[in-house]
Amino acid sequence: MFSKTLKKTVGAAMVAMLGLGTAAYAEYPEKPITLVIPFGPGGSHDLNARVITSTIPAHLGQAMIVRLSPGAGGQKGTQEVADSAADGYTLLFAHNYTDMLQQHVENLPYNPMEDFVPVARVNFAPIAVVVSGDSEYETFDDLIAAASANPGAINMAHSGNWGALFVPAAQIMKETGAAFNLVPYKGGGPAMQALLSGDAQVTMGFPSVLGPLVDAGKVRVLATAGSERIYDDVPTFGEAGIEGDIGFMHRVVLAPAGTPEDVIAKLEGAFTALQEDTSFQRLMGRLGENTDLLLGEGYQAMREEQSVAYKALVESITQ
Amino acid sequence: MIEQFAEGAMMAFTLETIVMIAIGLFSGMLVGALPGFTTLMAMAILLPLSFFLDPLVGIPFLLGVYKGGIFGGSIPAILVSMPGTGAAVATSIDGYKLTQKGESRKALDIALFSSVIGDTFSDIFTIMLIFPIAILVMQFGPPELFAVLLMSLVIIVATSGSNPLKGLVMMLFGLWLAQIGTDPIGGVERFTFGLFELKSGIPLLPMLIGVFALPELVYAVMRNEKASGFAKLVGERLNRVEFKRCIPTIRRSTIIGTSIGIVPGLGQVVAAMMGYSAAKNASSHPETFGEGEIEGVAAAEAANNAVNGPTLVPLLTLGIPGDNVTAILLGAFVAQGLRPGPQLFEEQGSIVFGILVAMVLANIMFVIIGYLSIPFFARIVTIKTGLLVPIVIMFAFAGAYVFRSDTTDVLMLVAFGAFGLLARAAKFDVMPMVMGFILGGPLEYAFGQTVAMAGNSPLTFMFTERLGMVAVLVATPIIGYILWRRMRTATA
Repeated sequence: MFSKTLKKTVGAAMVAMLGLGTAAYAEYPEKPITLVIPFGPGGSHDLNARVITSTIPAHLGQAMIVRLSPGAGGQKGTQEVADSAADGYTLLFAHNYTDMLQQHVENLPYNPMEDFVPVARVNFAPIAVVVSGDSEYETFDDLIAAASANPGAINMAHSGNWGALFVPAAQIMKETGAAFNLVPYKGGGPAMQALLSGDAQVTMGFPSVLGPLVDAGKVRVLATAGSERIYDDVPTFGEAGIEGDIGFMHRVVLAPAGTPEDVIAKLEGAFTALQEDTSFQRLMGRLGENTDLLLGEGYQAMREEQSVAYKALVESITQ
Repeated sequence: MIEQFAEGAMMAFTLETIVMIAIGLFSGMLVGALPGFTTLMAMAILLPLSFFLDPLVGIPFLLGVYKGGIFGGSIPAILVSMPGTGAAVATSIDGYKLTQKGESRKALDIALFSSVIGDTFSDIFTIMLIFPIAILVMQFGPPELFAVLLMSLVIIVATSGSNPLKGLVMMLFGLWLAQIGTDPIGGVERFTFGLFELKSGIPLLPMLIGVFALPELVYAVMRNEKASGFAKLVGERLNRVEFKRCIPTIRRSTIIGTSIGIVPGLGQVVAAMMGYSAAKNASSHPETFGEGEIEGVAAAEAANNAVNGPTLVPLLTLGIPGDNVTAILLGAFVAQGLRPGPQLFEEQGSIVFGILVAMVLANIMFVIIGYLSIPFFARIVTIKTGLLVPIVIMFAFAGAYVFRSDTTDVLMLVAFGAFGLLARAAKFDVMPMVMGFILGGPLEYAFGQTVAMAGNSPLTFMFTERLGMVAVLVATPIIGYILWRRMRTATA
């Protein structure tokens, strides 16, 4: 044990002296990895990250430490990772909206496509359109018809401009021609509270948080994202005529561009190993999250499609 | 229900639960006392631990961290005038003055007792009235929040220092500072001069440490380097007579804090300031407030802790987290297989009651743990200036930096320190500025939401749907005027 550590240390020192740099060790990782979350504590990324970082060390041989760095709508933490060394010791845990949409809305101090490469899409969450249990809108079509007949009369509570609830709402409006009055709230929790108190007539939420409210009849789900049904009796966006990658939040781990391939491979291997990890599976299951892993290259193709689709969406709304 | 309660109480009284609560309280207190580390961060870091513990061990442990952390925050506020959170600002007003008078032990004692009493009674109130509170919470939307925030700002100005006009100027300045950065609703950059560093706004912690702690350090250095840092003595412990004198204040603040906890989004900062203002206003000797009045510490601490009970209500009854602390608790619940929501009490009633009982238990234990550790903390201030000041400076800079790991924040700290010195020289109280800054963001957000909700017919919206907001808005100038008159005659 001791001699192994000693060997590693001496080896590392020699490599460093030879001027090979600190990056591409055969033995990555040899120190803890920092996972930067560009959002605040207590959000779904924070919770997901706590599950990842408490289970992944067994497969990496090193600790992974969460660093929350909220600010400027996710840009602060993202920039920190963009600026850090591409050695695999600083990673970003973000989602598709900050990753691929924000660039079309604001001037960013980094270029997401050029400055980052995806390591793993850990899971994704499909959004659901919900109304309160005693709402007059029985079906998704009822809601769209009402929002088309009286543009702006229906309040849709969302969690902030260009966020996880706003974007699908905007996409639905674009696809159907309906017009909601979009009212911002500080997060999905307060938005849901607005629905329950009657301040909003419709909002969106992820099935992981909706469960108890649906079971108690407090809210009714009218449609869910994607083409596969999540609730047996609730149509999907696809069935309602809304096609495309709409309403999915992809939680993704990104590395600075230029990170050595063997480092990425090692990380991908650890995320793949989590698929067999019972603690990881159990905790994610309890959080109500899937564990539908997509590795770097697979997700890169998705990113490129997202960028095009979001650009079109932003242009259609802001012009 | 009674049966479930008894079962839950039995489950909470295990050695494991009690030990973990104690560990949580103690570690929370230490983390809370370190500027730059927030209770919230501590909870987020310790959350994974609770994944692997029994629900009635893991969740009470996190609650212990939370409760310990809030009190921990008032330790540097009282001892070295360094409030680490907005909630501790009101505590530092009289707390630090008591330290300077050589009464730091007394100040910490009254802070401990009033926080525990405020918290306990608000917990008990919440347990007994959880379902009526759940209905009441729903009555408050952004329009009401806006009106209540505005009223809070008016009350703070009216009851602040001797010159309300100066207070108003400082508050407006604070409100302006809150505007710097990205507009929270539209995403437009304001007053950033194109600097990326300003895009996420001015951070709170460097402002708090800068305006409150740095000037004190400068003064301590100017006094005498051989003398004791901030005070010669730590003084006596709190005695029975003094505690009795504070009881009406604690009772009032507990009621204020609990009521404020029911309004989603107001929180501890408002509660502490309102509790403090109310105590000052009700006192027969308001001139002693701000000069080292133990009732001032009691008022602030009882109020900010009394917020805790009601803020758990949306989480427990609907599964909706109202803020980040409750979001972390929600994570702890679901990772245990508990699903907070309308059926939680039916499905898992005994565990929920067990957790609520553990909360009350944590409060009782905290009296003991806190009381035993106060003498150690209190003595810090008697270390001689030549040693203490460098240590506190280190904590001030490290605290400002570590919060966001951003070097810009260190520059902000120095700038606010200089500003604090200037303001003091010109006899301007920085308190209204800090409150304007803290509450400015939520105020603007609630206003933006109200405008969005009202759509094209604001007047119809206000007078048909939001009479509560209208009533508060009409009452605000009247209340402000009455308070100002009373303060003026009382201090004249």
